[in-house]
Amino acid sequence: MPDDMLLRVNNIDVFYESLQVLWDVSLEVGSGEIVAIAGANGAGKTTLLKTISGLLHPTKGSIEFEGRDITRLNAYQIVDEGISQVPEGRGLFPDMTVLQNLFIGSYSRKARAERKENLARVYDLFPVLEIREKQLAKTLSGGEQQMVAIGRGLMSNPKMMIIDEMSLGLSPLIVGDLFRVLQEIRERGVTILLVEQNVWQTLHEADRAYVIETGRIVLSGNALELTEEEEIRNAYFGT
Amino acid sequence: MMDAIADLATPLVVGILYGGLYVVIALGLSLVFGVMKVINVAHGDLVILGSYLAYAVLTSRGLDPILWLLLGIPLFFIMGILIQRFLLDRAFKISADAALIVAFGLSLIIQNVSQLAWTPQTRSLITPYSFESFQIGDVFVPLAYLLDFVMAVVVVVVVHLFLQRTYLGQAITAASQNRQTAELMGINPARVHQVAFGIAMALAAMAGVFLGLTFPFNPTSGVQYLVIAFGVIILGGLGSMVGTFLGGMIFGLSQALGGYVWGPTGQLLVPFLMVLVVLTIRPQGLFGR
Repeated sequence: MPDDMLLRVNNIDVFYESLQVLWDVSLEVGSGEIVAIAGANGAGKTTLLKTISGLLHPTKGSIEFEGRDITRLNAYQIVDEGISQVPEGRGLFPDMTVLQNLFIGSYSRKARAERKENLARVYDLFPVLEIREKQLAKTLSGGEQQMVAIGRGLMSNPKMMIIDEMSLGLSPLIVGDLFRVLQEIRERGVTILLVEQNVWQTLHEADRAYVIETGRIVLSGNALELTEEEEIRNAYFGT
Repeated sequence: MMDAIADLATPLVVGILYGGLYVVIALGLSLVFGVMKVINVAHGDLVILGSYLAYAVLTSRGLDPILWLLLGIPLFFIMGILIQRFLLDRAFKISADAALIVAFGLSLIIQNVSQLAWTPQTRSLITPYSFESFQIGDVFVPLAYLLDFVMAVVVVVVVHLFLQRTYLGQAITAASQNRQTAELMGINPARVHQVAFGIAMALAAMAGVFLGLTFPFNPTSGVQYLVIAFGVIILGGLGSMVGTFLGGMIFGLSQALGGYVWGPTGQLLVPFLMVLVVLTIRPQGLFGR
């Protein structure tokens, strides 16, 4: 594990109304890593993400980014800290064009100044988006929509990008392509936190992983080594 | 025969022109609904408040209602931001229903304060050009109606450019299409609400002045215009600028034609029957998505 931790989640408890969803969850993401949070539907993955992004707040514990406490920040303030989001279901603005969607990704004041450079970077990664620039987002294919969502996440020039259920509803071929792009994004210095139900492929792409079950982290470690764990094989791969 | 056609031409032209008034009222209502998903039931009353304030400065200072807008628009914009910030957003934090109830309370307060300040009597904005009209072919059109239309075109173009070309406008557009993602992109929802409500109020100030130049009004007229604005949005489709514009025209047109054929009872019957038909066969509106 690298020493310079970018994100630290320290022993958080999170409630939805009066229902406790996360118990004493801790995790760390180092600079330049691809870290995965894997787990079945309803395990608490999305709740954990919503808490990191400030849509929910923990009742216990803290969250630090680059050593700064971001536990109490609101969701709209998180972007300026250098964290960007690719939400579950892609979360595009359906009746805005591809370009307008990308520009919203650079809405925060800090990002506006570098809008042109970041757009060039996104088009370099996803050349098809430049061709589709003027099209409404809702007219794109699922794979292209996911490219817009990832591209939009890059438009704020983030230090860390959180991607929620990237592979949901996409063909394995497209998912493979997207994972290759993620590796490239990481090589350009963006840390990636992945949340996936697609446990097998995720464990092969990530450096490290946390496995979450019924609101608790039950396993963590080197992602490839985790694929060898008896428990994981039984629970997720049926071997 | 020619006479009948010429007669029909009058309601056609007139309806389209004062339909512009409905466009601007509906635009304010749909802008706020877009970002908050709350129907601002006080919108009609805010429009009539705009009429009354113009009436007050006209009768006390002799200031032309259209010139008054130079002051009225920024005044209403700021009022809108304050109302959103200190009333509606606080209620909105509890629930959307709470915000709806606060808006309803606002509506009652405006109606009753207007009654106290200006009596329940019906008023009009009477200016030197109030009785001006001009002739197109055989049709005589009151100048006020043409002003309604011109204002609507200007407002629709300006609001469209604002929503499409500015950071804030794009933030409002994004927030009305996907609220939660907009927040994740760094858009402060409270700020978007305030600006949207401020703009809706500025539009109410404008609509109020031109309404007062076109039709008589009293403290409870607001409800009627709220319902009309509803109809316009349903006709045109929520979130569509072109839809709202054409919806207003269609509403005005069918109102004028209904009045021409069936007299005063047909005036609102016909447009609302159309609303009903559209709701049945195309619930998303003629231009809705």
